[in-house]
Amino acid sequence: MYSEQEIYGQVTRVLAELFELPPEKIVPTANLYTDLDIDSLDAIDLMLELKQITGRKVQPEQFRHVRTVADVVAAVLDLRQDETAA
Amino acid sequence: MGTHWRAMLDRGSRRFGTGLSFVAFGVGGTLLSVTLFPFLRFISPNRAVAQRRIGAAMRRVMGLFIWFMRSLGLLTYELRGRERLARTGLLVVANHPTLIDVAFMLWLTPDVGCVVKKALWSNPALRWPVIWAGYIPNTEGVQLVQDCRRVLESGRSLLVFPEGTRTVPGQPLTLKRGAAQVALASGADVLPVTIVCDPPFLTKSSHWYQVPPRRPHFTITVGQPISRERYASVVQSHPLAVRDLTAQLVTHFTHNIEAVLKETRERGDESARDSVRAPIM
Repeated sequence: MYSEQEIYGQVTRVLAELFELPPEKIVPTANLYTDLDIDSLDAIDLMLELKQITGRKVQPEQFRHVRTVADVVAAVLDLRQDETAA
Repeated sequence: MGTHWRAMLDRGSRRFGTGLSFVAFGVGGTLLSVTLFPFLRFISPNRAVAQRRIGAAMRRVMGLFIWFMRSLGLLTYELRGRERLARTGLLVVANHPTLIDVAFMLWLTPDVGCVVKKALWSNPALRWPVIWAGYIPNTEGVQLVQDCRRVLESGRSLLVFPEGTRTVPGQPLTLKRGAAQVALASGADVLPVTIVCDPPFLTKSSHWYQVPPRRPHFTITVGQPISRERYASVVQSHPLAVRDLTAQLVTHFTHNIEAVLKETRERGDESARDSVRAPIM
């Protein structure tokens, strides 16, 4: 089980690698679409990549309300909690 | 009569001609949409045949429109590498400086699908012709990429203007990444077409009646196809491959636009010098 801090670290790494973003731009409040130039099709690639962390498929519905880096971390955390509850 | 007056008359007549062409296009287009296009649809045994026939008719109509504008002395043009458009199954990617780029491209490209404003789907006259012609509404995201891929997989070419709207004059060219997404999803060869209109005419920031002081000249340059091996070689990640191809296209267009402008301006300077040297009549 990862801590929130560890998940944040992994999300940051995935964003940096997938989109070649400079690490200093990836802050919790950064908006994926306006600050990080990620579009709806990139978000699909991001979801696929997050599957590697969660080990579970991220559903598009869970991603619909995601706007910021912190939202991504929260979505991943949610998934993991579902998993432990199950 | 002085040169000043002649220039004013020339400009005035081009303004009138431009208005006339647009009225003719609007009226002609609407008439064809309720006559020729439905006729072609209903005499065709199936959708595919109708699509080919309507596409071919659309091509002639666009060719006629460009011919009309040229005959009225509203513009001149030159085409470079046109034969490269003859192949089908190409993702034809063009920059978009003027209102009539789509007319040029639909005329020059055989058997082509095209992404058009989704507002046309609620236009009573144009709704069915665009459906019959197999054009695609400009929705977003996955839907749009899938629609585009289907056109290419059916063996037709697809025309897109990745700027999304006409170029904003005086600003660096920016492209949306959708065209590159379609390329990577379909594996089609990407054929970049650079459109230059000098002096600027029918731009995003001007009205149709603001015709330039000189007659505008279009230079349409069809580049070399970019094959899948060249644009899919960035393997680190799919988003990076998309960004890389988009950047390649920005560089291609920016470089070619500059080269063509430099060339036509040098040519313009020479003819201006020649006319100074020529004996006064």
